[in-house]
Amino acid sequence: MDFIPQYLFNGLVVGSSYALIAVGLTAIFGLMQIANFAHGQFYMLGAFMAYWFTRVIGLNFWPAAAASVFAVMLLGILLERTLFRLLRGASLSSSVLATIALSIFLENLALHVWGPRPQKIPSPFEPGGIEALGIFTTPDRLLMLGITAAVVVCLHGALHYTTTGKAVRATFQQREAAALVGIDIDKLYTLTFAIGAGLAALAGVILGMIFVVQPSMGGVATLKAFIVVTLGGISSFAGGIFGGLLLGIAESFGTIIAPSFKDAVGFVLVLMILLYKPDGLFGKWS
Amino acid sequence: MVVMIGPRRSAGIRWAMLPLAAILLILPCLVGIDYYLHVAIVCLVFVILAVSLDLLVGYCGLLSLGHTAFFAFGAYAAALLYLHLGAPLWITLFASGVFAALIAWLLGLLVLGVRGHRFVITTIIFAEIGRLIAYNWTDVTHGQVGLPGIRPPVLSILGVLEIDFASRAAYYYLALAITTVCVAAMWRIAHSPIGWRMVALRENERLTEASGIDTRGIATIAFVLSAFFAGVAGSLYAHYTGFVSPDLFYFTYTTTMLIMVFLGGKGTIVGPVVGAVLFTILPEALRVAADFRLMIFSAMLLVLVVFAPEGLAGLFNRFTGRSRKLTMRPGDA
Repeated sequence: MDFIPQYLFNGLVVGSSYALIAVGLTAIFGLMQIANFAHGQFYMLGAFMAYWFTRVIGLNFWPAAAASVFAVMLLGILLERTLFRLLRGASLSSSVLATIALSIFLENLALHVWGPRPQKIPSPFEPGGIEALGIFTTPDRLLMLGITAAVVVCLHGALHYTTTGKAVRATFQQREAAALVGIDIDKLYTLTFAIGAGLAALAGVILGMIFVVQPSMGGVATLKAFIVVTLGGISSFAGGIFGGLLLGIAESFGTIIAPSFKDAVGFVLVLMILLYKPDGLFGKWS
Repeated sequence: MVVMIGPRRSAGIRWAMLPLAAILLILPCLVGIDYYLHVAIVCLVFVILAVSLDLLVGYCGLLSLGHTAFFAFGAYAAALLYLHLGAPLWITLFASGVFAALIAWLLGLLVLGVRGHRFVITTIIFAEIGRLIAYNWTDVTHGQVGLPGIRPPVLSILGVLEIDFASRAAYYYLALAITTVCVAAMWRIAHSPIGWRMVALRENERLTEASGIDTRGIATIAFVLSAFFAGVAGSLYAHYTGFVSPDLFYFTYTTTMLIMVFLGGKGTIVGPVVGAVLFTILPEALRVAADFRLMIFSAMLLVLVVFAPEGLAGLFNRFTGRSRKLTMRPGDA
């Protein structure tokens, strides 16, 4: 049973990246009623931008990470102002198909620019591991956990104690009423979209340092993020975060039982949730 | 909102079908090159797939992103039946359809209770589970290696005449016959009371239910029927290519079918047929730009969905002033 803390820890690391991606997806779905199937591509692009800034341009890791997140946020703003504005109010099937098309487009664009070979982002830390409490880990992994924790705290604070955060929550609950009391919905959408895209890119930068960067990672991330939000309830921030951690841990322990079916763990979880609690574990508004 | 089901075709269009049928019948003599016949056969398989997906997406309004799983399950059923029991196409065609329909029925018990994004996600997940099974259950499926060696059938009439469908031209006629029967059957379904109820479900599920229609039952029928035809297409495909692998579960196949449905016009039978034909020919024409193919396709799909959600059929109807067929919000499904 010595391995349990290690698996738990591994699950938490991967799970926190799922959580970062899923939070943006939840925010976009909750506010704009658009199921963004291209969301995982922000994660992929974040990772590739960081690869490009470090390996090709030759920047240090930290400025490269900041620049990548910023670049993806800009792309998010651009897309929100054009495509997603056109899709506003469209039916579910239209927005799903349009974002799937966007996702294929971005993936193949990355394939064309950076090639299919897996790449790696150089780590800013000294190589070597840390061992504590029977857990073996590396600084990169601790960074992932630390950043997720910081993001959760910041988001919670911003949502509850700033005017903009309150406006976001109001729009979440009742879009028309929020617009009536003078909340600038357009500005809020752009802001939410940019933050959501940026968080996904941030997850991509750090995971790209721990694992590898390749064009197909975006599609997988989208699927995982949707599993997470289905687990947690699609319009709940807490659901997105806990759903992400839950999926990460479940997958980590799934590898003990049947390594080749690791990905099936999340699928089975979702089917069970749909069967017994269709609104998700935290779904109160859906 | 006026919904007129089954556009009344003028006699002109009916007559136009005749030369089309003639061209389809003499196609092997026209194209000459074997490769074009190959494209034609694959196209016929995709016609079945696109129309069957349209029954679900276009008529019933249930956006399924796992349609290729039924196609793949059908292909695997045909492969296993042929390789282990020597069952010919005549048997596997039906057996594959029934197998896919059975899986759809079981899946429907689980997922047809949910709508919206949850339904979409579960259908994707379902296809992924199928791929994982085909990939990992190596005793039966041989994993990534796949199952080779599925032969086209040999038809012997009273022991006198023997037709071997191994030649491209012969298989083309076989595929043409099967596709015609399938599309005709689906046309019949779409224009029957069941089809009307599917449209009612798409337009307003609550109202339909309030009118005393078992909406869950109708959704199940649509799901099972569309899976059945996808399974039939799977068998037709497996006996043609002679090889099945987990790749058949790839999302790309589903995307291809969706583009065909949306290009031609969802909620019609002619639309997906036209969409399938165009979208099989187009990639061949774009062969020069192979690297950019998927980028071009995805950009096309994007433009279609945003600016012409009713596809070519919608444009045609708008052009000829027959837009009474469907008046609904843009992109509604």
